[in-house]
Amino acid sequence: MPASKPEPAALLEATIDYLERELLPTLTGYHRFQCRVTVNVLGQVHRELQLGAAQAEAEEARLRALLGHAGERDQLNRELAARIRAGEVPLDDRAVLEHVRLSLMEALRINNPKWLEPTGEP
Amino acid sequence: MSESESDGLQALLAAAVRRHLGPPGEVRELVRLTGGATRATWSFDAIVGEDALPLILQQSAGAAAPATEAPIEGDIPRVLGARDAALLAAARRAGVPAPRVRIVLLPEDQLGEGTVTERVQGETLGRRINTDARFAGVRPELAAQCGAILAAIHRIDPAGVDFLGTQTAADQLATYRRVADLDDHALPAVELGLRWVAENLPGAARACVVHGDFRNGNLIVGEDGVRCVLDWELAHVGDPMLDLGWLCVKTWRFGGPLPVGGFGRRDDLFRAYERAGGGPVDPAHVRFWEAFGCIKWALMCMHRGLGAVRGERRTVEAVAIGRRIEEPLLDFLDLITGEGD
Repeated sequence: MPASKPEPAALLEATIDYLERELLPTLTGYHRFQCRVTVNVLGQVHRELQLGAAQAEAEEARLRALLGHAGERDQLNRELAARIRAGEVPLDDRAVLEHVRLSLMEALRINNPKWLEPTGEP
Repeated sequence: MSESESDGLQALLAAAVRRHLGPPGEVRELVRLTGGATRATWSFDAIVGEDALPLILQQSAGAAAPATEAPIEGDIPRVLGARDAALLAAARRAGVPAPRVRIVLLPEDQLGEGTVTERVQGETLGRRINTDARFAGVRPELAAQCGAILAAIHRIDPAGVDFLGTQTAADQLATYRRVADLDDHALPAVELGLRWVAENLPGAARACVVHGDFRNGNLIVGEDGVRCVLDWELAHVGDPMLDLGWLCVKTWRFGGPLPVGGFGRRDDLFRAYERAGGGPVDPAHVRFWEAFGCIKWALMCMHRGLGAVRGERRTVEAVAIGRRIEEPLLDFLDLITGEGD
């Protein structure tokens, strides 16, 4: 199947643009809130299209290095989760903490980049 | 909500107002409010006699949301309907600014389980409370006001609300362990969190009536400060430090720069709590509940997001909450590794 044009990102951009610039200003209350959430969700899909594949590859590579064998990302994540649950990884294991932090930050770059900005006192 | 559904609600609500409060019972200005992810909340004015009463209708999940949200209901008991009303009355007797209940819905009202309460004027949106100029004067007082209110909540006599279940930290850990297993979305960060909580459970704690969801977003704030504490459905008998820790979870700071609800400092909260007779506060004990709160919120996000995917109706709000899971997990890591300090 030939790749259809315009590409998915362009469809999303146009949709977000309509919702945000044209529809949202006409809404109040419940529907204004729902429309804002909808715009955010479409933004997540847009960023996942851009960043998702590279992030998946990077996470898989880190998991292979941590666990010392090959495998697919979901399966390796499951294994790491099971090892942590079973107490086979110390809670202060620097390599595991660093990997988990990187994975969370990557996901936040898609789901809510603003969460990564510094905010005042802890 | 379509126009016809809203019309149906208006007619049922008018009948309920006539039944409980008196004629003519006309309902005006019926507006669905944005808050409340698990419950539908409506604002309206009821004409009773010559007066227009400003009221709030709170329908619990049973009536307002698809039954597919049920799995977590069995695990996390919710205080609804008549019990909610009894708890709010007990809270008011203890000096807590809680909503005044006007109607406890009955089956013949056909509106599901829920209550109608008096509407208190003020702001509930956390971001506005933290940024609007009109709250600038009172913002530095809010943490201390919360401390005094929490001390009052923790003084509610448990004997008067004996329907509340007891949940220790270990009970809550078991609950959220079940939620994680139910959703079967193996995330190393969640497992790190659950294990950290298990290894850091506090020793014996006092057992008090706790609100369970005391946070920015569940407070009505005016220029004079906190006017009302909302959303008591997660109330139970448990460790009072839970309420102080939950109020500090970063999610409830709504972008505000300070740790208590985004608007205040921990010290102001703790000192006011102690001054109001709440008892001594150990900051490390509160921090345990803040960290556990991050994990609980992460699992609530996961459960709502995946629950919506499993269920018949995927609301945009629910799938969006599912994608918020990493926020509290990163905050948790910051807390336990001291990164945020």
